[in-house]
Amino acid sequence: MSPATKAVFELVPYLLAFGVGALIPRRQGTLERVAIGVVAALSLALVRGLWPAAADAATPAVAPPEEWPHLLNVIVFVPILGALFVLFLPRQTPALLRRVTMGVLGLDLLASLMLLRVPMSRGWHFQYVVDWLPSFGIRYHVAIDGVSLWMVLLSTVTTPIAAYVSFGSIKKRTKELCFSILLLHGAMLGAFVSLDLFLFYVFWELMLVPMIILIGVWGGVEKIKAAYKFFLYTMAGSVLMLAAILYLVWTHKSLAGYATFDYLALANVVLPRTAAWLCFGAFALAFVIKVPMFPLHTWLPDAHVQAPTGGSIILAAVLLKLGTYGYIRFCMGLFGGPAWSAAANLAGLAVGGGILYGALVAWRQDDIKRLVAYSSVAHMGFVMLGLFSGTRPGVEGAILQMVNHGISTGALFLLVGVIYDRRHTREVREFGGLAKVMPVYAAVFVLVTMSSIGVPGTNGFVGEFMIIMGTFVSLPLGSHGGLQAVLAAFGVILAAVYMLAVVQKMFFGPLTNPKNAQLSDLNVRETIALAPLVALIFIIGLFPSLFLERTRDSVQVVLERYTEGRKSFQEMDPSSTVARLLPRRGGALETGYPEPPGQVDAKPPDPSTPEAEAALDPQQGQP
Amino acid sequence: MEALVKVFPANDFSLLAVILCLPLIGAFINGVFGKRLGREGVTLMALAAVGGSFLAAVVSFLVLRQAQAGSEQAARLTYVAWDWLSVSGRHDLGSIPIKVAFSLDALNATMCLVVTGVGFLIHLYSTKYMEKDPGYHRFFAYLNLFIFSMLVLILGDSLPILFVGWEGVGLCSYLLIGFWFTDEKNAQAGKKAFIVNRIGDFGLLVAMALFVYHVGALDWIGIEGGRSRLLEPVKLWPIGNVVPLSSALPESAAAWLNTPRYVTAASLVGLALFLGCAGKSAQIPLYVWLPDAMAGPTPVSALIHAATMVTAGVYLVCRLSSVFVLAPAVMFTIALVGALTALLAASIAFAQNDIKKVLAYSTVSQLGYMFLGVGVGAFSAGFFHVVTHAFFKACLFLGAGSVIYAMHKRIHDTDTSQDMRKMGGMKKYMPVTFATFVGAWVAIIGFPGTSGFFSKDEILLKALTSQIQSPLPGGKITQMTRAGEQTVLELWQWPSWGNQVLFAMGVVGAVMTAFYMSRLVFGIFWGDFKGWTIKRKWKAPAHHDHDDHDHPHHHHDPDEPLEGPAPVESPWQMWLPLAVLAALSLGGGFLNAHLLHLHPMDDWLGPVFATAAQNVTAAEGGLSLVLAFGIGAFALGLGAAYWVYRLQGGEPARAFVERMPGLHRWAQDKFYVDEAYDEAVVESAAALADTAAAADKYVVDGIVAKLTSGVVQLAGAGLRFVQTGKVHTYAAVMVVGTAAVGWFLIAPHAQARTVHQSAGQYGVVAAPGFGYQYRWDTDGDGQWDSEEFSSQMQQDVTLGFGENKTLRLQVKNAFGRTAERSITVSRPKLDPTRGPATVIQIEQQPDGTVRGVLPGQQPTGGVQ
Repeated sequence: MSPATKAVFELVPYLLAFGVGALIPRRQGTLERVAIGVVAALSLALVRGLWPAAADAATPAVAPPEEWPHLLNVIVFVPILGALFVLFLPRQTPALLRRVTMGVLGLDLLASLMLLRVPMSRGWHFQYVVDWLPSFGIRYHVAIDGVSLWMVLLSTVTTPIAAYVSFGSIKKRTKELCFSILLLHGAMLGAFVSLDLFLFYVFWELMLVPMIILIGVWGGVEKIKAAYKFFLYTMAGSVLMLAAILYLVWTHKSLAGYATFDYLALANVVLPRTAAWLCFGAFALAFVIKVPMFPLHTWLPDAHVQAPTGGSIILAAVLLKLGTYGYIRFCMGLFGGPAWSAAANLAGLAVGGGILYGALVAWRQDDIKRLVAYSSVAHMGFVMLGLFSGTRPGVEGAILQMVNHGISTGALFLLVGVIYDRRHTREVREFGGLAKVMPVYAAVFVLVTMSSIGVPGTNGFVGEFMIIMGTFVSLPLGSHGGLQAVLAAFGVILAAVYMLAVVQKMFFGPLTNPKNAQLSDLNVRETIALAPLVALIFIIGLFPSLFLERTRDSVQVVLERYTEGRKSFQEMDPSSTVARLLPRRGGALETGYPEPPGQVDAKPPDPSTPEAEAALDPQQGQP
Repeated sequence: MEALVKVFPANDFSLLAVILCLPLIGAFINGVFGKRLGREGVTLMALAAVGGSFLAAVVSFLVLRQAQAGSEQAARLTYVAWDWLSVSGRHDLGSIPIKVAFSLDALNATMCLVVTGVGFLIHLYSTKYMEKDPGYHRFFAYLNLFIFSMLVLILGDSLPILFVGWEGVGLCSYLLIGFWFTDEKNAQAGKKAFIVNRIGDFGLLVAMALFVYHVGALDWIGIEGGRSRLLEPVKLWPIGNVVPLSSALPESAAAWLNTPRYVTAASLVGLALFLGCAGKSAQIPLYVWLPDAMAGPTPVSALIHAATMVTAGVYLVCRLSSVFVLAPAVMFTIALVGALTALLAASIAFAQNDIKKVLAYSTVSQLGYMFLGVGVGAFSAGFFHVVTHAFFKACLFLGAGSVIYAMHKRIHDTDTSQDMRKMGGMKKYMPVTFATFVGAWVAIIGFPGTSGFFSKDEILLKALTSQIQSPLPGGKITQMTRAGEQTVLELWQWPSWGNQVLFAMGVVGAVMTAFYMSRLVFGIFWGDFKGWTIKRKWKAPAHHDHDDHDHPHHHHDPDEPLEGPAPVESPWQMWLPLAVLAALSLGGGFLNAHLLHLHPMDDWLGPVFATAAQNVTAAEGGLSLVLAFGIGAFALGLGAAYWVYRLQGGEPARAFVERMPGLHRWAQDKFYVDEAYDEAVVESAAALADTAAAADKYVVDGIVAKLTSGVVQLAGAGLRFVQTGKVHTYAAVMVVGTAAVGWFLIAPHAQARTVHQSAGQYGVVAAPGFGYQYRWDTDGDGQWDSEEFSSQMQQDVTLGFGENKTLRLQVKNAFGRTAERSITVSRPKLDPTRGPATVIQIEQQPDGTVRGVLPGQQPTGGVQ
């Protein structure tokens, strides 16, 4: 068979998928057909391309493609430069502005898909390091591993959808909207890939500005108040984190003799107990507010209710993930000891205050968006529980659940936005019997609901299942792990209670409100925006190993650091006030380690007795 | 046959994928393209999908029989589709892969035939029953999806895959109960079914977690292989080491509270699994959803809520029989709950007039029988009842549907058209429906020779004779504790009176079944027709259309006398399935007729239950006693009903109701269990949710957000007064401040910190300052090392283990003022009991070599 025919044959399944997808919409409309067909074909390509066994069989001996070091720079800075570019476009041409924005986001999505070509083995990938402010030891250091990979992809997939939806409903101040979305996108991506704490902090704070603009300009009635609340909550956490970062850097400098903000170097600092607890607390507070966890969650419903649909999608899908991502990367990576010791109590909080309490409060909301916001609290409780469990399935499940929550809750906010655009209300009691007038909308809503309440076969189940199993067998949670897993499983019932109640009230029963009688079903734009989310719900639900495969090694690394951090924390004399520095472990995990500035007398670690040196004398001289 | 075996090897039996995929494809095509396909297309797709699946199931069955033939081992055909995910075992060790894998053995091959076979008949029936419904394609999409989910449930090779199907059938049930969703009541019933089922699913999730923790496997083979690990004791209480705050209690109370309580893991797993089974199979306490589920179209009631889905719980107990038998207490609970459910549901069925409700409670009651059977360890008897029940109950429901279909011609209200009091004399008008209904009726009441007779008597026999043995010979589990070996748990023993009680309950249930089923049949088919006045040449009013479900306001005034044509027999698509099912109800008993020494089904299933059978003992004999009671129960129930409803025309029943209106009302209103649940569970959960919502709004947000902002505002309001705006105040404050800073700069500060450089090497580093110079006293003789101040900021100190040293430091600043401080540097002792005790300590010798010292030992040798 000639290569050409072979290529044609290889294309057949994709064409078939495209054809089936293109046939799905009932109304006439080329754009919609093509878009859904493309989503179907891409889904197939994603599944086949990522299939671990298939890849091995097809290319047995081919080395993984070389990593282009600038790929992350492109991913992060294309949207930021795009945002700057948008500033120079005339505001009288909203269509052009929208097209440019979508183009930039699309480019970014394509660039981020290139990340998938490399298997995520242990260590850092697509690393790029360059000095930024050498006198303070600040470097531009970006890299990804199996954890941040999915966070990056989650944002590059959901932000275009959010932007696309926003362009449908927001018609005023398009230029500012485009600028905000692009800047927000760049900042979020930057925060996910930064391995320099200063850089991370810059992106972390940079994110706030466009988000406040999104809420404060295009929001609802009480938008200013909500934006303010969002800002203050997040800020309160992050200034403490800044203090902790500075303390950590200062400690490192006094131990190693040079300043650096690099994650890899700071991870080797073992703080004395009190300091470790305080620094852990400061970091954890910043992240826990962002997640958010009880009792610091009340900014979330306000922000969601007031934010425009696009803002809500980004907020739920990506912004909250920075909290959980930060917890994995920084709390578990830098402060394994305190994180381990606090895990059992925090897990209790995640179960009681998140999964159960969040679900109960959600049940009693009249505003659909508020309900979805509280369901976020419950779902993020699951994610945090998985992280606290400190087991492989728990953490893997948590990472998957972050992606799942982004997809399902993002889709729910999108769907709520659909009905809000038509009726300008989100009160549940205004609706009823909508399935009669909006059958497709109702079907998609029920489907996304099933994903949100974790019906097997959809993505929600896989994450929750792994988290529950991981919690049950967890060592850090000790004898409480079993109880917490059982209560988390109980939360699954509550999820069905509140989501099905709202589905029933909105879609079933007689069509009582005459205002609803003429509502139109999903329009082309909304359908196109929802299609990839629906496809992902099933792809993750059926083939989670595509995703888990790429996080496995990195989760292993995270857990190793976590256990190591706990060990060195426990070996520290409780009364000691002096920090110490672990020896460098070298290898793939520490490529890009900041070398001390070029002094001759800087002592590189003695290779002959590296371990012995560290183990020698854990207790320091006490003045 | 040989060719088939070659094409489909036992370890890659891809025919299972065909069985599964056909209904899924049908569901997808009907769901997405159904409206464009038209009715014929949808019918063809749906029937072809399920029919094809049935054929594939038959072929698989034959291949399995071939494999099973002549082998004592249970044959298995497996098919692994792909890797799904993986979890890890106890303490995060090991990896437990969960594959999307399916397997076929004797148990689920039989079940598979029933599901696809009965499913096909009901699909065929529905093509006519649902003919005029606007949601025709949606109905068949759901129905095909249901068949797919059910097949995943029974073919799944591990508990998680079973769970996929388990929740999938729940979802389809939800969608189909609420199929006519414009009626609030139907949507409500669907939601109730889903949520009650979810409570059961919670049990299944917990069971999976327990399997992962204790057994370290979730697939059937792994679970059966590791089941002995389930006999370890699990501490249930206290959850930590002690109960918090228990020290505040009196000593004896605290001791009682803190006494560890153990159960075996097997009991926990069994209970958790049974919670799942009780949810899906409508047993006490979770049976309440099933009667409400009758809101769905009648074929759905026949397929999902009688023949297939509700028996999934029994299937699960059979599937994990080897685990259940390790917990005799759980088995007894299952049997007892089954028997109680059978009695409770039967007593409610006495007082119902809605024919579907009667059948629904009858289903609950029969499911109770099945659990009674599997609970006493008679797995194949219980499963045999699943099969026969699928035949006769599907037939009864479809027959009822046929009657309702006829009634629907003139009575469009759903409730009234199902009311037994409106029927009567249908024998004359619907002969085929009548004949088939009678066939199923004699089966369910246990007429000798019918399928129900054999399956029910087998259960009664086993209830009398079969027991679960204690899984451990001594019946005790001991554990080493600090106080020596202690008995932590004594296993529960099956009570001696247990079998008699269970048997008696079973017999009473049989009498009741015979009575209320006969009442139903007499009410529908005998007597005079009471639905409407029959007019020979009646014509339908012109405006009428059939699909009244969308506009319920068309109801007739109930007082107005209704006229109409004589009810007619349903079309062939409807009575053909009835005939097939009735034949099976009558003849299916010979699959397992122990009385006649015919038991192909027992032989077929035997290998599957072989492991479990080791823990079950069955006494010999009792057959004639059971036979007497069985036939007696049937005769008594039927005779009583005949006397009451035929001979006396229902007069005794009316007299009974008049004499005891309260009891009748109780039974009619289902003993108010629903209301009690509403008040006790739903309302308290709602109250809790209300409290949580209010607390969130006022307490949490109030403290975290409002109180904080209040404090800040208050502080701002206070500090505002400092900002007077008067320049001379500011100037005064500035002068004071400058003076304070100046004084601080002028005063010297002798600060120093200790740095650990390497083993035993410490550095004392003085803090820098404005023009600072230092002098040191490093040898501790009270004299400065040199009288001159120098810029040497650091002194190095070498210390051995346990030594310490005091240094003095004097600082002179630019203004010549000095300050002094002494600093003690100490190195801790080598303590062999703590610290990195396992690590070789490395000590630097004076000659510069490094020696490794094990803690508490003499130096052993050089370690370079």
